[in-house]
Amino acid sequence: MTAGSDADRDREEQPAAQESTTEEASKERPVAEPPVAEPPVAEQPATEQPAGEESAAAEAAPVRRRRAPGRIVTAVGVFGELLITAGLVLGLFVVYSLWWTNVIADRESDRQSERVRDNWAHGDGKDQGPGGLDTEGGLGFLHVPAMSKDEVLVKKGTSAKVLNDGVAGYYTQPVKSALPKDEKGNFSLAAHRDGHGARFHRIDKIKKGDPVVFETKDVWYVYRVYATLPETSKYNVGVLNAIPGDSGREKPGRYLTLTTCTPVFTSRYRYVVWGELVRTEKVDAERTPPKEIR
Amino acid sequence: MYGWIWRHLPGNVWVRALLSLLLVLLVVFLLFQYVFPWAEPLLPFNDVTVDEGRAGR
Repeated sequence: MTAGSDADRDREEQPAAQESTTEEASKERPVAEPPVAEPPVAEQPATEQPAGEESAAAEAAPVRRRRAPGRIVTAVGVFGELLITAGLVLGLFVVYSLWWTNVIADRESDRQSERVRDNWAHGDGKDQGPGGLDTEGGLGFLHVPAMSKDEVLVKKGTSAKVLNDGVAGYYTQPVKSALPKDEKGNFSLAAHRDGHGARFHRIDKIKKGDPVVFETKDVWYVYRVYATLPETSKYNVGVLNAIPGDSGREKPGRYLTLTTCTPVFTSRYRYVVWGELVRTEKVDAERTPPKEIR
Repeated sequence: MYGWIWRHLPGNVWVRALLSLLLVLLVVFLLFQYVFPWAEPLLPFNDVTVDEGRAGR
């Protein structure tokens, strides 16, 4: 780079060599044409030689106008540049939210999923919590063929820190989620609709009767969607109850709840999908998926 | 503002253009790495959970 730029400068030096030293010339060029007298000198003739005012002013004026525009003009110019900058920054923020966060989240969730699979494959039980469940690294994988052909890693918690890694999280508050292995209860999950992996982006494609399969180390839990709620208040925590509110069920059972935000690109309301457990299936040696997701 | 930066960059036009590009990339990097992740939770675009009215989820 330096060699190239030196060469550039050398090439320009030769024609200009007679007029001035190269460094000065190239520095001043955008302000004033090299042949014009240097700015400090240009101002002096006006005071020293009143007789030569006309010619001196003619020479100095263009220099001065470009040098020091009026204060208002400068202020308006800077203000305009700030507005343009603000527009560019907002545009960049859209790029960040809808593209870059996905790139980061995909990378991160791939890494974490791989680690969970690794743990399962050569399960030394080191990182695993009670009951053979690895609750820190991830509980298991959610398969929703109606929404996406990709699996979604499920981890504990619904804080931004967890969900921003492109995973789904099960609620720990305001209503504590049950786990799939529990006899009764509601396994409630949240994930991003846009950005950060957008794992539940196509939640609106899930229809009543669609299968949802949750995969753990040893068991496939097969759920069937029995109700959806396309729009509800973000304060409607009742949907997470052990017997999910607004879903139409009144008896305790083994339920699954998916929540995300709606409409897309906003967080005005929540979209909720409920399923109930149909059956469980033991994971075999080849991890053959149940027929619902084959 | 931008004119001021341009005038204060060293070198000829090409060197300045290159330096400007590097400055732009630096600014974009800082925005993506630090500013946007900080600003995002403050904006109402990505709250996906139901909760009891506490902000900033």
